[in-house]
Amino acid sequence: MTVTLLYIEDDHEIGSVVSADLSERGYSVRWLRSGEGATEEASPCQLAILDVMLPGLDGFTVGQRLKRAYPKLPILMLSARTSIDDKLQGLEFADDYLTKPFHPDELAARIEVLLRRNGASVQDSLTLKHLVIYEGDNRVINAQTQEEVMLTGKQFQIFSYLLRHLGQIMTKEQIYEAVWGEAYLEGDKTLMVHIRYLREKLELDPGNPEIIETVRGIGYRVRA
Amino acid sequence: MRGLGRIRKQRNSSLLSGYLLIIVSALLFIPVVLPLSFVLYNMVNEVTKGAPPVDTSLYSSVAALETMWHKEALQLEDASSEGINERLHELRRKYTEATMFWVDGQGMTQLILTPDEGNRDHGSGVPEQWTAAEAIFFMKESTKRDPLAIVAFMGDRVDAGKGFMVMQIPNKLLNKGAYGGVGAWALYYFVLFVLFGGFALVSLLFFRKIRKRLLQLQTAMTITGPDRMPKSIMTGKLDEIGRLEEAFNTMVAKLDESRKREIEEEELRKRLVSNLSHDLRTPLTVIRSHIHVMTKESLTPQGQQSLELMDKRIADLSVLIENLLSYNLLNSGRITLKRERKDVLRLLREIAAAWYPVWEKENFEIDIDLEAEPLFWMVDEVWFRRILDNLFQNIVRHASSGLYVGISTESRNEQRVIMITDHGRGIQSPSDYKGAGLGLSIVDLLMKHMELEWDMESTGDGTSVVIFNPL
Repeated sequence: MTVTLLYIEDDHEIGSVVSADLSERGYSVRWLRSGEGATEEASPCQLAILDVMLPGLDGFTVGQRLKRAYPKLPILMLSARTSIDDKLQGLEFADDYLTKPFHPDELAARIEVLLRRNGASVQDSLTLKHLVIYEGDNRVINAQTQEEVMLTGKQFQIFSYLLRHLGQIMTKEQIYEAVWGEAYLEGDKTLMVHIRYLREKLELDPGNPEIIETVRGIGYRVRA
Repeated sequence: MRGLGRIRKQRNSSLLSGYLLIIVSALLFIPVVLPLSFVLYNMVNEVTKGAPPVDTSLYSSVAALETMWHKEALQLEDASSEGINERLHELRRKYTEATMFWVDGQGMTQLILTPDEGNRDHGSGVPEQWTAAEAIFFMKESTKRDPLAIVAFMGDRVDAGKGFMVMQIPNKLLNKGAYGGVGAWALYYFVLFVLFGGFALVSLLFFRKIRKRLLQLQTAMTITGPDRMPKSIMTGKLDEIGRLEEAFNTMVAKLDESRKREIEEEELRKRLVSNLSHDLRTPLTVIRSHIHVMTKESLTPQGQQSLELMDKRIADLSVLIENLLSYNLLNSGRITLKRERKDVLRLLREIAAAWYPVWEKENFEIDIDLEAEPLFWMVDEVWFRRILDNLFQNIVRHASSGLYVGISTESRNEQRVIMITDHGRGIQSPSDYKGAGLGLSIVDLLMKHMELEWDMESTGDGTSVVIFNPL
């Protein structure tokens, strides 16, 4: 199943080379030159990439309209502004943004993260070392033994949060607040304890974890 | 002509002339009111007395009356009883209002003449036969002066032994002209009181009005509208305060105007920076994308290396544009602050998480020690990120030789600080350190905007940046 992307970029030179690159990476790209008709075009899309500076309706307006029409559609903004520009703070509706000139690999990586985060995963299953994960079914299979790894609700929530941010380091606060839905208090050991039990179930050698990596001083990461 | 009329109008309605008018009218009123009060006093006096006017000039001087009485007594030393009676009757015809009587040497009252024949009350207090006690009682009574009693011995000496004669004059005759009745006096004082009280009241009202308008003006100056500008006020009369109000309004209008102009200039600058950013970044994006296209071609390793270098330099250029334009915006001093109470250690962890892959790629040793109680500072999140991005960028760009980055929090002088350390060649080293100046200038500007302080200690073995909150 190919993922369809809505890409709005007025600059022809950038638009052609970026949409070619994204097509090469296996995405189906719908490239628009302006924000007009974006809402209609977006209906079959799994993700929208918007330039901030567009002729006519600007990227903010288009993005907000898209978000209103499709609240679940992830939006990635491409900005040619400086980060200190207060207009950038109007980008709250966007799920991510990237400053020009971006590297095409960086754009692809961000798209991947956003798609995974929003459940529109490219693959049905994900293979990590000895694990095969079926996120849609909440199932984790140990490929070596072909046995299902039984996780508790919180354990699975923590694991899938890290999987949704595959390759990204998440801080303890971010994980705790996403899973428990309340503010993290410094010194709280709950998360640490849960991670320890999670590792006992997932890792081949819990003393030397390979799936959930501890990033000292910051948090945890599941590497792709 | 209009201007002239306006000036005249202003002068006419000046506070000075207003108050002068009050004073002058008060002064003018004194000569009017005082005689008026006398007239009123007289009128009231007449009405309250209700008696026909009497010639009182005869009784105006007590001293003259006494002299006259003593002289009469002296002449009557050798006169017979009949002679004395006759003389008193004569005097009685002259002094119609007085009561007269005389007492002979044996203390027997001889004749009592009262002003009104029908009213003998005046003489009723006079005993037929005078004892010493009665004489003393009479004299004691007469000291009250109502009626005034003038006593003279016949022959004007006691040892003549011929007795004495007395003239009694009602007090009201003596007081007439100099003293009035109680009602008249009250009225007199009332009129004076009304005059001066009125003057005081008018003055008070006058100053209260001034005070009220001044307070209104003060309120208008201190209360500011939603855009933190005072609003213009309603002008009243065109006196000094009215002109002050007008001047205030003019000032507010000018302030408003200059503020609008400032906002416009600010907008212009922002638009310029924004457009410049767009115009510079768009071609760079095109170049970078095409470099990426080229890397997929079959190239010699040298060609690949060149493309990699070009890509890196474009990334650097992007940072430089970012810093240049940020510096321009920041330096204009018109950047809005959104300072909030934030746990900076948490922010630091999140930012470090974003940089972590970059450091990993460069094979840095990463030493992060932020395990501590939250450290709350008032920071703008976007700017704080920008500060740390610039510092981390510097480490990657200019201190990569040290292959080390350390982020920690510690106590210095009983203050919690953030420390960012590298093992590079230090800031004095001239090696490829160009471009760091701008980034650090922005760090400095942003720190100042957020009221944070920072220190940089640099040796040949590395640099450490200390960030602390001076409060």
